[in-house]
Amino acid sequence: MRAKWLPVVCLAAFVVGCGKGEAIFNVNVYSFLPASTDTVPYYIPSNTPRADTGSVPQQINLPGVGSSVVDSIQIFGTLDLYNQSGTGMLGLQLFMASDSLGTYNASNAVLTVQQKTVSGSPPVPVTDTVQGQLLSNANPLFTQKQVWVRVAAEGSNASLTTAVTGYMVLRTLRLSVFINDKFF
Amino acid sequence: MRTSVIGIGLVALTVGVAAQAAGQGLTFDARRIGMGGLSLGRSASLVRYNPAYHAVPEAVDRRGRPRVTIPIPLGIIQFLHDHPHLSTDPAFHPDSAGFNPILAVNTVLNLPIYLEVKKAPTPTNDVVFGIGIDSLRVNLGAAAELVPEDQFGFGGSSRLLNPGIGIKGVRVSVLGWLHYDLGIELNDKVLAFLRDSVDALPRTGYGVFENGIAEGGFAPTVSYAGRVAGDSSTGLYLGGALHYYLGVAYLRSSISAGFRTGASIFTGPNPVTPLDSGLTSYSKPGNALGHGVGGDVGVAWISGPIELGVGVNDIGATLTWSDTRQDSVFYRDSSFSKPFKNHVSTTTKLPVSYVANVTYTVGKTTLGADVLNTGRGSTVHVGGEQLLGLIAVRGGVARDQRKRIEFGFGGGVRLGPLGLDVGFWTHTNSLSNERGVTMATSFSIY
Repeated sequence: MRAKWLPVVCLAAFVVGCGKGEAIFNVNVYSFLPASTDTVPYYIPSNTPRADTGSVPQQINLPGVGSSVVDSIQIFGTLDLYNQSGTGMLGLQLFMASDSLGTYNASNAVLTVQQKTVSGSPPVPVTDTVQGQLLSNANPLFTQKQVWVRVAAEGSNASLTTAVTGYMVLRTLRLSVFINDKFF
Repeated sequence: MRTSVIGIGLVALTVGVAAQAAGQGLTFDARRIGMGGLSLGRSASLVRYNPAYHAVPEAVDRRGRPRVTIPIPLGIIQFLHDHPHLSTDPAFHPDSAGFNPILAVNTVLNLPIYLEVKKAPTPTNDVVFGIGIDSLRVNLGAAAELVPEDQFGFGGSSRLLNPGIGIKGVRVSVLGWLHYDLGIELNDKVLAFLRDSVDALPRTGYGVFENGIAEGGFAPTVSYAGRVAGDSSTGLYLGGALHYYLGVAYLRSSISAGFRTGASIFTGPNPVTPLDSGLTSYSKPGNALGHGVGGDVGVAWISGPIELGVGVNDIGATLTWSDTRQDSVFYRDSSFSKPFKNHVSTTTKLPVSYVANVTYTVGKTTLGADVLNTGRGSTVHVGGEQLLGLIAVRGGVARDQRKRIEFGFGGGVRLGPLGLDVGFWTHTNSLSNERGVTMATSFSIY
C-alpha cells in the first residue's frame, strides 16, 4: 500500500501543479531507514591504504516518474564517527544502483565525502557533514520505481600495528531530487 | 484507490475549468465573438430562451445581420498540423509514456475549432514535495491558486428537437429536453493540503463531495408567440409555452469519495483506507415515465432602434418519478453498490433559466447587452458593432459564470452578399490563471 500511496498522491499533486517548472522532491531518507541501519561499524586493518566497510543495501521505493528527466540530486546529512581504536582517515561513501548487487560496484559510488581524521577513543564523536551533489549516474535511477542504496564507511589506515575500529552513525540524511516537467 | 486520489487532482482541474468553458459558451460566429459573445436578434440564445422571439419577424431584427454564418475552423488545421497522427499520438494515450494530460485537458477545454493566437501559459513555478516516513507536504506555489475553493461544476438544460405544427402563433409540438448538472467540492483537508501546503495528517479523511444529476425526456407542448401591439417596425411581442414533461430516464448521485490516512502517513499495515460512500437514485428507460408540468414566458419589445427582451424557461418544472430505484454505494476492498429501496417515488427539478437583452441600433452603430442564466450563475455580455463603409469594427466584454471578465474585439469586411469576419476573444478555460486569445473566422451570407 505504501508503494501506491506515495506515487499516487505525488501524481495528483503534480497534475495540479502542472507546468514547466521543476518538481522538487525533498526526501527525508533518514526517516525511512530502520533504526538498525543508521549505524555502520567499520574495521580497517593496519597498513591498509583503502578499505570499504558498509551497511547492507537498502531498497527505497520511489514515485516512478516515467519519462521525466532528473536534473540533479542534492544531498545533505550529518553523521558522527565513534572511533574506538587506531588512527586513520574515514569518510562516508554512498552507492546507488538498480539492484542490490550493483551497490558493491565501485563505479556506482555516487557520493564520496572528504575523509576526516579519527584517532583513539575520544569522549565525543567526530561530527561530519555530508553535503553536495550526487554524481550524474544516480540521476536515471530516480526515474525508476525503486533504487538500492548502500552507505559505506571508506577509510585508510597507515599504522603498521593498530587497526582502526569504530562505528559511523547517520544523524540526518536528506535528498533533494530536481525533476524536469515530463512526468508522464 | 488510484482512481479516487488522482480524481481529486484531475477532476478538480478538469471539471473546475470546464465550468468556466461552459460559462463562456461555445460560439461559432466570429461576429459574435468579436462583440464579446453578445447575442443579437434571433441569433444564439435569445430564441432558445425567449419564446416571444419566435414571433419577431426576421426582417425586423436582422438589421444588417447575415442570413447564414459559416465558421472557418482554422484551429482544426493548426491542430492536425501539430498532431498529424492523432490516433497514434502518444500525447493523447494514457497508456503511453508520452501521455500529456495537460495537453489532453486543454484540448478538451479549448476545442481546436478556432486558431489559438495566444496560448494561456501554464504555471511555471516549481512544485515542491516534502516526503518523510511520517510526513508528506506539497507546495504548489502559484499553481495552488488553480485549486478551486468553492463548489465547482457545470450544468444546464438543453432542448433538442421541437417538431410540431402551428397556426396563427399557436403551436403544438413535442419537445426533447435534457438536463444535467455536476457539482464537486473538495473537503477542507484536501483544500488545505493542496492549496495551503499543510502537512498530510494521520487519522484524517481526505476526499471530495460530488452531487450530480442527468435526466432527459420529451414534453408535449402548447405554445403561443405573437405580436400583441404595434406593427412590424414597432411592436410588443409575447410568447409562452406550457410543457407536460415526460421523463424517460434519470440518474442522480450524491457521493463522498476519498481516503483516510492511518496512524502514520507511510508506515503501518494500512497507511490509507479508501472511503467511498453515497446514494444513487435512478429510473431506467422502460421504467414508469416521470411526470411534471412547467412553462416558459417571454416578452420582446421592438421600437425603432431599441429592442428589449426577457424570457424565462422551465418555470415550476418539477418531475415526479414513481418508479425509482435507490442504491447505496460504498468501498470495501473494492467498490460495491447495494440496493437500498426500489419502486419509490422521487422528484427532480429542472433549473429555471432566464435571459434578458437590450439592443440599440442607430445608423451604422449597434450596441447591446444580455444576461443569461441557465441555472449555474449568470453570464453577461456587453458589446457593439460600428460599420465603416464595407468594414465593420466590433468590441465587447463578457463576465462568465465564475465572474471572470473576458474581452472580445474584431472586424469584418462585406462585399455584396458575402462577408468575412474575424473575431478575437480572451478565455481563461485553460489550466492557467492567465488569459489566452483565440481567433475566430467565419464567412457570412447576407
